[in-house]
Amino acid sequence: MSNNRQSRIRHHRMVVFSLLSLLLLTLVLPLIPYAVADLGESAGKVVNPGADLWREVRQRDRSVIGTTRVKGVDSGVLINVYGEDWRQFRMQRLIPYGAALMGIVLSVILLYYLVRGPLRLQGGPSGKKIQRFTVFERTTHWFTVSVFWLLALTGLILLYGRFVLIPLLGPDGFGLTASACKEAHNLFGPMFLVAILMLFVTFVKDNFYARGDMTWLIKGGGLLGGGHVSAGRFNAGEKIWFWIAVLGGIVLCVSGLILDFAVFGQGREVMELSHVLHGIVALIVITVSFGHIYLGTAGVEGTIGSMTTGYVDEAWAKSHHDRWYAEVKAAAVDDSETEPAGGGSASTGVASPTRDG
Amino acid sequence: MNDRLTRGIEAMRAQMDSRVMSYMSSCVHCGICAEACLFYTETGDARYTPIYKTEPLRKLWRQEYTFWGKLAASMGLSKKLTEQDLADWEELVYDGCTMCGRCSLVCPVGIDIAYMIRKVKEGLSAAGFSPGDLVEAGRRAVGIGSPMGVTLATLQATIRVQEKETGIKVPMDVEDADYLLLLSSGEIAGFPEFIGSLARIFKATGVSWTISSDYFEATNTGVQLGNSKMATILVERVVAAAGKLKVKYVISPECGHAYSTIRWDAANFIGRPLPFKVVHIMELLDELRRDGRLKTDGVTDERISYHDPCNAGRRGGVLDQPRKLLNMVAPNFVELPETGAMNWCCGGGGGVSTIERANELRLKVFSAKKRQLDAVKVAGLVTACSNCRHMLEDGLEDNEMYDVELLGITELIADHLAEPGG
Amino acid sequence: MFEQLVDGIFWDIALWVFAIGVLWRILSIFRVRNKPDYSEPRASGLAGAIGANLRRFMPRSEMVSRTRLQFVAGYLFHLGLFALLVFAAPHVLFIEAQTGLSWTAMPYWAFIISAQIAFIGLMLLWIYRIMHPVTRLISDVDDHLAAILTFIVMFTGCMALLGEFNGLRVLHRFMVELWLVYFPFSRLMHAFMFIPSRAFTGAWFGRRGVKA
Repeated sequence: MSNNRQSRIRHHRMVVFSLLSLLLLTLVLPLIPYAVADLGESAGKVVNPGADLWREVRQRDRSVIGTTRVKGVDSGVLINVYGEDWRQFRMQRLIPYGAALMGIVLSVILLYYLVRGPLRLQGGPSGKKIQRFTVFERTTHWFTVSVFWLLALTGLILLYGRFVLIPLLGPDGFGLTASACKEAHNLFGPMFLVAILMLFVTFVKDNFYARGDMTWLIKGGGLLGGGHVSAGRFNAGEKIWFWIAVLGGIVLCVSGLILDFAVFGQGREVMELSHVLHGIVALIVITVSFGHIYLGTAGVEGTIGSMTTGYVDEAWAKSHHDRWYAEVKAAAVDDSETEPAGGGSASTGVASPTRDG
Repeated sequence: MNDRLTRGIEAMRAQMDSRVMSYMSSCVHCGICAEACLFYTETGDARYTPIYKTEPLRKLWRQEYTFWGKLAASMGLSKKLTEQDLADWEELVYDGCTMCGRCSLVCPVGIDIAYMIRKVKEGLSAAGFSPGDLVEAGRRAVGIGSPMGVTLATLQATIRVQEKETGIKVPMDVEDADYLLLLSSGEIAGFPEFIGSLARIFKATGVSWTISSDYFEATNTGVQLGNSKMATILVERVVAAAGKLKVKYVISPECGHAYSTIRWDAANFIGRPLPFKVVHIMELLDELRRDGRLKTDGVTDERISYHDPCNAGRRGGVLDQPRKLLNMVAPNFVELPETGAMNWCCGGGGGVSTIERANELRLKVFSAKKRQLDAVKVAGLVTACSNCRHMLEDGLEDNEMYDVELLGITELIADHLAEPGG
Repeated sequence: MFEQLVDGIFWDIALWVFAIGVLWRILSIFRVRNKPDYSEPRASGLAGAIGANLRRFMPRSEMVSRTRLQFVAGYLFHLGLFALLVFAAPHVLFIEAQTGLSWTAMPYWAFIISAQIAFIGLMLLWIYRIMHPVTRLISDVDDHLAAILTFIVMFTGCMALLGEFNGLRVLHRFMVELWLVYFPFSRLMHAFMFIPSRAFTGAWFGRRGVKA
């Protein structure tokens, strides 16, 4: 019995001693760098022994792979060395260059508007309307617009909020806003894939390269030189925008989904790369959309109607999309020859019943 | 508030019932009804959207039965129903709706839109915003006994011709006969062979029947006009004529709204059950077929189809009977696409064919029927409504579709009637 | 202060307005008497009423091609919203705290899918409403307000998903309260009224032997 008791006391003593040593060690540990620094200074050329340790801790050359009982992606990595690169890129490249890009493009557009003004419809409207976009096409467009801008605004808040919103809302207010935006951004993200697919299926047939597109591009769409350039249903500029939106949209969706659903084994590096790609492409698409919005609204007289009511003036069609106008007119003649009583009359501004269903 | 508007509002207020309240409270303005309406699909004009045609009733409901409406009205904020509204809706409701009720079958929340349009008509006609042609037809129906001005003398002359052709006496004013046959003016004037055909069928099948010289008109202009008082007067005449001859049944002829009126609405107009049963001629012929009394001999080899009259089929329930009858005589029968309860209206129902200014519109919307006919490419189209038949004639001619022959189902059966004992 | 109001008295008021309002609206339908139908029925009106209530969940085959977008978007929205409303984990917890009733919440991935389809459906329907000449003509302020309010309720719900900021939860709950108060006086009532409407129409057609 007494032997047993003695061993227990010894055991207790050992535990207390170990704990105390550990505590001491922990307190001393942060002093090691100072000691090392002192040592180094005094010893002159003696190699910093901590450097090797930290090199291994950072696993920069992957010579050491940490082990842990925590099962998970990257759980063996103690410090992600690329994290700092990513942070540097985000703070010193993406944010300032992105802001500059958007600012410059907006300024150029504004300047152009102030100097040249909107592109007027020469000879004024004819009063006769033709249908440019069906209900389904317009619904697809505005659905994409809605999802895109919900994502763009929440995304921009996440990127620029700390500069713009913290002064306004304070750190707590911005914390709440950022959390809300992050959740909304993550939840709306996958919808953009649906929108892009709908956009692609709806508009792709008129967005392939066609003869005359090169001429249109060389002449700057008539925006630079003046005078109108021949175009089909979509001009080369619109086609480029379509492919930027679709391809950029796919990149945004894929990189976004990688970031959004981190349950498929993607590690930090993949996520960092995705984020870089996501940020760059998002800022580019947003910037190009400024041009699209300008040309669709204030920039070119008579264009907005095509996406609201679906109808444009015949004079607009003739001047901006002469080849498309000719096709529509030819098709209308065919229709009226084969089916005298059917179909909605386009000239009275009513929707074509068969296509609107 | 002026007189006309007051009369219109009072008439519509009297129409407010649970159904209207429920319908108004459940519409989400989805616009699906438009896709079922030939006036929208064929013109592309959104104003022909069925639920939009009930707008005057909806405005009244809003300002008198809803919280916001009452609140806004009390503060003078809302736009109240005006006389101009009623005037503006006359064309939409009378010219641009055949009351075919196709919309009522497709509404996702289950609104019977035709039921409400009928109530809007009640308000418009009370306010005096009804097409002159229809008002005149109503005047003739009440005054002469026929919207087309067909008098007893005209009927008697027609019957004499038919008796001569068939060699069968048409029984007039026979007391205690089983069946009282009503006729539509359109039949008497346009398809008198219907009478002769029926005489032959009834003789062969031994049906005891008669026609009343007091009142023989089957149609009811009061219903088309949206004038319940007039409709009731006309229904009472049928009831009186049937009562005088003490018949057990009243036969509705080949006419859609005549059937739905006398079969389904009449008892409610007079506020008591009818003292007789009502059968559509298709129902009676089908019953005779089922009982083995109606026998046919030979068939037509032509490829034919059947046009369901809206008020007999969709809104009357006579859907199977004509098909069973056609099965006896037409082995090459094909259904139109979108048939039966979902058949497209001919474009002339609900009084539209009476309104002359609507001629262009009804011929335009006939393109729905043309599409159906183009899809099946038939040599003959059978129907069971003289009004449909008139409209189909006009439409086929307007579209130069001379290779489609129109047939009345009763005549088709009569043409293939097996001779008694044969 | 605002938080206490939203979690307390506002919530009670909203629930009472909703419950009494909805009941009052439903009862007010039957306050107006229907005239008896004296015509002799061909078939059962009751069977027609029940049948129409079931059948109208699907479009008639003749209408499918003409109403595909409304059908697809309509179902996406309603199914998604229903799933979110009843089976979202925070909602299940909330209902349990309020009533003691509890059931299994859907997993996170199902929540994500429900939210996606509900938003896609609602946005497509609303944009279609503005784009199509028919719906643009017949829609009124109420239609748009109901759509926007529902969108805001759903959107604030999504923003509050992380559950770390009480302010977002309060915002969501406040929007729900507005929605509940608006409900009985608005187009949102169709959520209940479609049943009597289908029943009336189904009975009317049923008596005539027509499947409505």
